[in-house]
Amino acid sequence: MTHSVIEIGPYQLLLALVFILAAGGASLYHGLRLEKDLLVGTIRTFAQLFLLGYVLKFVFRLDSVWLVLAVFLFMIVFAVRIIRSRIKEKQVSFFWPMLISMTISYALVAFLITGVVIGADPWWKPQYFIPLAGMLIGNSMNAVAISLDRLLGELKKRRQEVEMMLCLGADYREASKDMVKNAMRAGMIPSINSMMAVGVVFIPGMMTGQILAGADPLIAIRYQILVMVMLVGSTAILSFLGVRIVCRRCFGPAQQLLLRPEKNSRNR
Amino acid sequence: MRIADCEIKNNIIDFRDVTFVFEGKTPLFSDLTLSIEKGAFYLVQGPSGAGKTTFLRLITRLEEPVSGEIRFQDKPFDSYSPPVLRRSLLYIQQTPTVMDGSVAENLLMPFSFKNNSHLTQPGHEKLGALLREVHLEDVGLDDHAMNLSVGQIQRLCLVRGLLLSPEMLLLDEPTSALDRESAQAVMALIERLNVESGLTILIVTHKTYGQDRIKPRYLVIEEGRIEESS
Repeated sequence: MTHSVIEIGPYQLLLALVFILAAGGASLYHGLRLEKDLLVGTIRTFAQLFLLGYVLKFVFRLDSVWLVLAVFLFMIVFAVRIIRSRIKEKQVSFFWPMLISMTISYALVAFLITGVVIGADPWWKPQYFIPLAGMLIGNSMNAVAISLDRLLGELKKRRQEVEMMLCLGADYREASKDMVKNAMRAGMIPSINSMMAVGVVFIPGMMTGQILAGADPLIAIRYQILVMVMLVGSTAILSFLGVRIVCRRCFGPAQQLLLRPEKNSRNR
Repeated sequence: MRIADCEIKNNIIDFRDVTFVFEGKTPLFSDLTLSIEKGAFYLVQGPSGAGKTTFLRLITRLEEPVSGEIRFQDKPFDSYSPPVLRRSLLYIQQTPTVMDGSVAENLLMPFSFKNNSHLTQPGHEKLGALLREVHLEDVGLDDHAMNLSVGQIQRLCLVRGLLLSPEMLLLDEPTSALDRESAQAVMALIERLNVESGLTILIVTHKTYGQDRIKPRYLVIEEGRIEESS
């Protein structure tokens, strides 16, 4: 079942801004002071998505493996930067190890999905690789940020407990086992929850997009299932890798906890 | 063998030109050189913020000096794996910490660590005897550790550390939350271990030492220096 896509013209897009005006009106009425953020957010949505559209057109037309991989790497670098900015704790640096582990695990999962499961030829075919990799990175980025924030927060909050175990002969893995477990769970739960709710509580964006673009809903759901499974897998791999790598970096060469409590809260 | 060599061999800990600084602060210790004699009983004293806790943390590698060297039994710290070193130089923090679980589970928890797997786990009889020795006869091994008072937890942590048979015991205000009677029981146990087993003791305390069974040696920390006084 296919049908032609109803094209959205510039006037229709402008008409959709009515919703933003309504949101701005509500903000003014209730004194939320969100008008500026709404304006910036709207301009950025338009600009970023138009830019993405042109970039994708260019990449699809050139059909070059290097360009596809460059876009892929660009997305990962930004994902790591976003993760870093979201984490309140700044005492431990993890940009490079996270970049390397994210690149390896995303490349592996994206290759398995496009090259092996979907069977795209070549495996890096931009129409498949870039959107799938984008969804993969975008979703698991949130999970990694949640996991790492939880890990660092717990290690800092439970410093006394960690050091007590270290003093009793535990190595850093044993002393941080509980915090690592909690952090991994925190990262995994949103993607498991969305597997529970998909198709019942919400219709995912990718599937909606495919149906709107004229695809058979039964084909769209298969892609969606693939994406959901891929997301859970990559979230698990990355939460596991990321939490482990960052946890090691929280401890020094003598396996001493490097995260300091807030200023002036500790005995000297 | 020269006399100096004999002296070195008798030290359990040696600080050699150790400098320690908290990031962005002025050095807490500069070029610190001192020795802790094996089997001795030390009291560490000094004003608040002088670095008494940090001194204990340096000995257990919870803090690392920016320069200089610390040696354990005449070997550099790096020649020991950190968990093994920490179990030998057992540090009990000022704020006693227990896990969610029974008293027995807390006491036996260190035996689940990989580096302690060769140690023989004590039976409940031995645990009960040690608890009695620190006036915890009312505490049952099945009681929930988190329901105990701070003073009871403080003594529980001491017993838990002693079960690992350390070579040196570093205590940060071990009697701060105890009534007079319990504090005396704890100090009596520590003294007995020092006298009978030759356990090296290093205690950070603000309290004056009123026992006459042992004549302690004093390490006074002030303005980045540590000096021994009698």
